[in-house]
Amino acid sequence: MIEFHNVTKRYEGGYEALTNVSLKLADGEMAFITGHSGAGKSTLLKIIALIEKPTRGQALLNRINLNTVAKQRIPYIRRNIGIIFQDHQLLFDRPVFDNVALPLQIQGYRPQEVAKRTRAALDKVGLRHKEKSMPITLSGGEQQRVGIARAVVHKPMLLLADEPTGNLDPVLSREIMQIFVDFNQVGVTVLVASHDLGLIGELDKPRLTLNRGQLILNDLAEDEQEHGNGW
Amino acid sequence: MAGSNIRRHKPATTNRISAYLLHHLQSLVFSLGKIYQAPATTIMTVAVIGITLSLPGGFYLFLKNIDAMSGDFRSSSQIGLYLDLDVSEKRARAVEKDIGSMAQVESTRFISRDMSLEEFRQNSGFGKSIDTLSSNPLPHTIIVEPVAADTFEIRNLVNKLQAMPEIEIAKLDTEWLERLYTIIEIARRSVTIITILFACAVLLIIGNTIRLDIQNRYQEIIVTKLIGATDAFIRRPFLYGGVWYGLLGGIFSWLIVEIGYLAISGPLERLNLLYQSEMTLITFSFHDFIILITSSTLLGLAGSWIAVARHLNQIEPS
Repeated sequence: MIEFHNVTKRYEGGYEALTNVSLKLADGEMAFITGHSGAGKSTLLKIIALIEKPTRGQALLNRINLNTVAKQRIPYIRRNIGIIFQDHQLLFDRPVFDNVALPLQIQGYRPQEVAKRTRAALDKVGLRHKEKSMPITLSGGEQQRVGIARAVVHKPMLLLADEPTGNLDPVLSREIMQIFVDFNQVGVTVLVASHDLGLIGELDKPRLTLNRGQLILNDLAEDEQEHGNGW
Repeated sequence: MAGSNIRRHKPATTNRISAYLLHHLQSLVFSLGKIYQAPATTIMTVAVIGITLSLPGGFYLFLKNIDAMSGDFRSSSQIGLYLDLDVSEKRARAVEKDIGSMAQVESTRFISRDMSLEEFRQNSGFGKSIDTLSSNPLPHTIIVEPVAADTFEIRNLVNKLQAMPEIEIAKLDTEWLERLYTIIEIARRSVTIITILFACAVLLIIGNTIRLDIQNRYQEIIVTKLIGATDAFIRRPFLYGGVWYGLLGGIFSWLIVEIGYLAISGPLERLNLLYQSEMTLITFSFHDFIILITSSTLLGLAGSWIAVARHLNQIEPS
């Protein structure tokens, strides 16, 4: 699903966010990216989400070269990714239902189909009864779950989450992480950036640890060696 | 194929076409909803557009009326016949009778030398200096009203009358009319210039409103881009927003002109009465109304297009 070959990202002004990062995340896998703030976790996700381009090296998403992808194709590639933000990025001028339905409307689904899938996604995050509420009236945990529903409503192949539990208490954080694990179990590839080491430790998933832009721990690579290069 | 897998969620093609139309409809309604949700901004924008467009609209209507009025004048061109000074009044009246019996002549009116002098004494303000004259310098005058409205036929008549021995000068009184036409032509061109300038102003107003709208919805644009919206999808509600502003502004300008028209129609009709004219005042025809609304709507679309082209591409998630 995701392949990085010696990816370096240097921002204007010379700051190097990622240095020679190589990794492979297979279809259907789930992994955590950990590291201090500023270690390059967000930059790595941004490259996958086509928000940033690598300065050097090659990044592939489903064998599509992200370095050279044409601007007009970006929206269509993003439709296969569900992105969850730390600050959930909901649109506060419209109710929960409309927020979650947005990816389907963008992709041109028929209204009946939109309604069906939107309600199913809200069901999955336990917020079916809140579809008419405005996001501002929801708690932080509920808002984050609306964000997740929006990220999965169009059944993406890949889920990216950037510090999804950053603002939540431990109980809510655990709930949110469990939702990701559930999605992974039905075949969605999941990549979660988080510095909540305690919570990550509870879940038996491979870890990628970044430190000042360098990948210092790569459980996925060890997997590969153990399983004799399964790709 | 590298990309085949990545497009597996694409809905069927027939659905996509109806969904495309559906999104156009949704954008139309959504942008109207946005306008409805921010009534103060909308009213101000629509008012500015309406007032701006009402100026060329009003001038246009004014011109249209002047045009119709001058058409009225055109059909009532008179010929003034100034007789030789040595023609007696008796002979002059006989000439008038002859001319009056001509087929091309509708009616005639005789003004004798004495009547002319008296009229001149009263109206010119030179009364005293006229008294010092030893003899009356004014000729007998016959005013001829021709049957034909056609300029060519009238000219023929004038030539025929000029040829009569008793007539010193036959003068077709159209010079002032030609002057009027020239003035109208100047006014017409001025209206064209004003219209172009004010159309540009409307373009800028709508462009600026849409630019602010884009800035206000910066976050929404970022989010929709991140979940795979194409530029066309994002552009659409803003373009429809411009269309609404243009349409409402156009209707408002029409209202302004109509109300302004009502306000001045009273004295205008009195003036009409004083000139004993049969003229009725002209207001916007349905055709004019459609042109006004269509052009303001198109201006709205163009203005928002400019704003969207300039500002939307600059917004990228980071």
